[in-house]
Amino acid sequence: MSARQHPNLHTSKLRSEFLLSLAILGLLAVAPALIQSNYWLGVLIVSMYFAMMACGWNLLAGYAGQFSLAPAAFAMLGGYSTGLLAYHLDAPLWIGLPMAIIIPGLVGLVLGRIVLRLSGAYLALTTLSFAEILRLVIYNSIDFTRGDQGLNVPELYDGRIGNYYIFLAALTLIVGLIYWLLRRPAGRFLQAIRDDEIGAASRGIDVLRYKTIAFIISCAICGFAGGLYGAFARLVSPELGLIAQTGLVIAMVVIGGMGTLAGPLIGAMLVYTASELLRDVGGIQMIVFAALVIIFARFFREGLWGLLRRAVVRRVTNRGTP
Amino acid sequence: MLALDLFVNGLIIGLYYALMAVGLAMIFGILKIVNFAHGEFYMIGAYTYTLIALGLGVPPWLALPAAALAGALIGWATERWLMRPLYTGYGSWGLMKDEYAVVVTFGLSLLLINLFDKVIGPYPMRGPALWDASRISIGPFMMSGQKLITAAVAIVLMVVLALFIKRSLWGRQIQAVAQNRLGASISGIDTARASSIVFMASGVLAAIAGALLAPVINPAPDVGIFPAVKSYVIVVIGGMGSIPGSIIAALLLGVLESFGAVYLSYDYRDTYGLVLLILILLLRPQGLFGERAREV
Repeated sequence: MSARQHPNLHTSKLRSEFLLSLAILGLLAVAPALIQSNYWLGVLIVSMYFAMMACGWNLLAGYAGQFSLAPAAFAMLGGYSTGLLAYHLDAPLWIGLPMAIIIPGLVGLVLGRIVLRLSGAYLALTTLSFAEILRLVIYNSIDFTRGDQGLNVPELYDGRIGNYYIFLAALTLIVGLIYWLLRRPAGRFLQAIRDDEIGAASRGIDVLRYKTIAFIISCAICGFAGGLYGAFARLVSPELGLIAQTGLVIAMVVIGGMGTLAGPLIGAMLVYTASELLRDVGGIQMIVFAALVIIFARFFREGLWGLLRRAVVRRVTNRGTP
Repeated sequence: MLALDLFVNGLIIGLYYALMAVGLAMIFGILKIVNFAHGEFYMIGAYTYTLIALGLGVPPWLALPAAALAGALIGWATERWLMRPLYTGYGSWGLMKDEYAVVVTFGLSLLLINLFDKVIGPYPMRGPALWDASRISIGPFMMSGQKLITAAVAIVLMVVLALFIKRSLWGRQIQAVAQNRLGASISGIDTARASSIVFMASGVLAAIAGALLAPVINPAPDVGIFPAVKSYVIVVIGGMGSIPGSIIAALLLGVLESFGAVYLSYDYRDTYGLVLLILILLLRPQGLFGERAREV
């Protein structure tokens, strides 16, 4: 095996993960031909919504090592950006959806600029407080946001199949964007910051700047996902930002494989489908996922995709050496 | 007169917050991690107290130590099964310490919330009061008996904790481990035991806070989320890992919320903490009493 093809080499590892991601997206593209039921198409649409958030969170936590506990809160912010514009100003979706990217991105810029100067647990603490308090503010501002009744949002597209392919296109775009970013120097800088922040700074990487960029992109992706979801469900409510939703996103990434490109996709599809099945068993889905998060974080840090890859690599290298 | 009344009430709210925040600050001091399941220690305390007092008909005064015991147990178990890998394989875990701690404690928080939701049910219950007097006047102040008792218990616990850490052998060992884990273990201090004690103490404080507030908050599985958010804000304001800092920050936040709820807006009283947090992070990121971290 030549050095360039070694499975641990960054580019070839990233490329194989990207190919696997494309295969998963391809599978999703042909799925409507096999699944007739509207219910399961809806399940897949929601799992693509979670996959977008998982990809955004994974870029920040898995690749840049910065732990935000507010992916769901930023999705709620994105949803309310479209929802409030439509409710107060009658703005159509072609204005509302870009605002679902811009407003969470701007909030991410301000918050990130303040918090990311500090390393360690500060980001997790601040984003968790921000998430809960933002939800409370939306819940309490009944005159402006209609509180827990939620807001009606203009319809994304008439018909389930159309919505399905819009979500798939958005997810593909996000996966492509993250792949593109990781192949550029910025992607290597982020991973250097994750592995050793002081070391990265000593080699001349502007740590604050790249951490903030990762945070802004992650917030914008989550916001966009929330905006799309609101337009699909035709309703945004404070429930979008519940801590449990953030927990689901983290469970998807940790179970699928943190710091890998395909891990969040695998995790989101498996976890959300499993949660639909487990709901019928008696609503134990969150107990199972929380336990799995602890077990995976404790024993299998690379998640399902890491386990799979290691098994494949072991076979390949065993065959290669006499 | 109103201002003085608000001030005293704010201090009492601050004492509840301090019970939560001190445990969090101690854990940060010794392990340099944040326990995101801290709110669930509080929830377990509230449930243990309510279920034992109502279910078994035990007098509330005896249910309070039971809640403390439950808090100690969950703290011990968390440290023993989830936190110990942080420092037993210290070298190999060094890089991903924060990452592991955030994910595992957040997972634990979700697990406990959903487990209680499934086993006990999502409906809030009402805990019995320790002292069922609604209005007691002390000089010019009027307050409920439960509030008075809570304040007294909180002050006693805080004094006991301070004496324990300053004076006792175990307390000094904890200080040594917080200053330098490697140095402490070279001097023959059992660092695993010190961490275990800190987690148990933090569990006891959070559980007692939950039990004392059970008549007011009506225990439900997600009841710990907001007190935990408040204590995260407090430990950052007080300076991560500083125990006196977190007590003062807790009192400050309590008073600020008490005044804000009357003079600014009642609905948004929970946002003042976040505003204060952002201000502190902008102007004095090491917190009110924290030392600027030395980067090697």
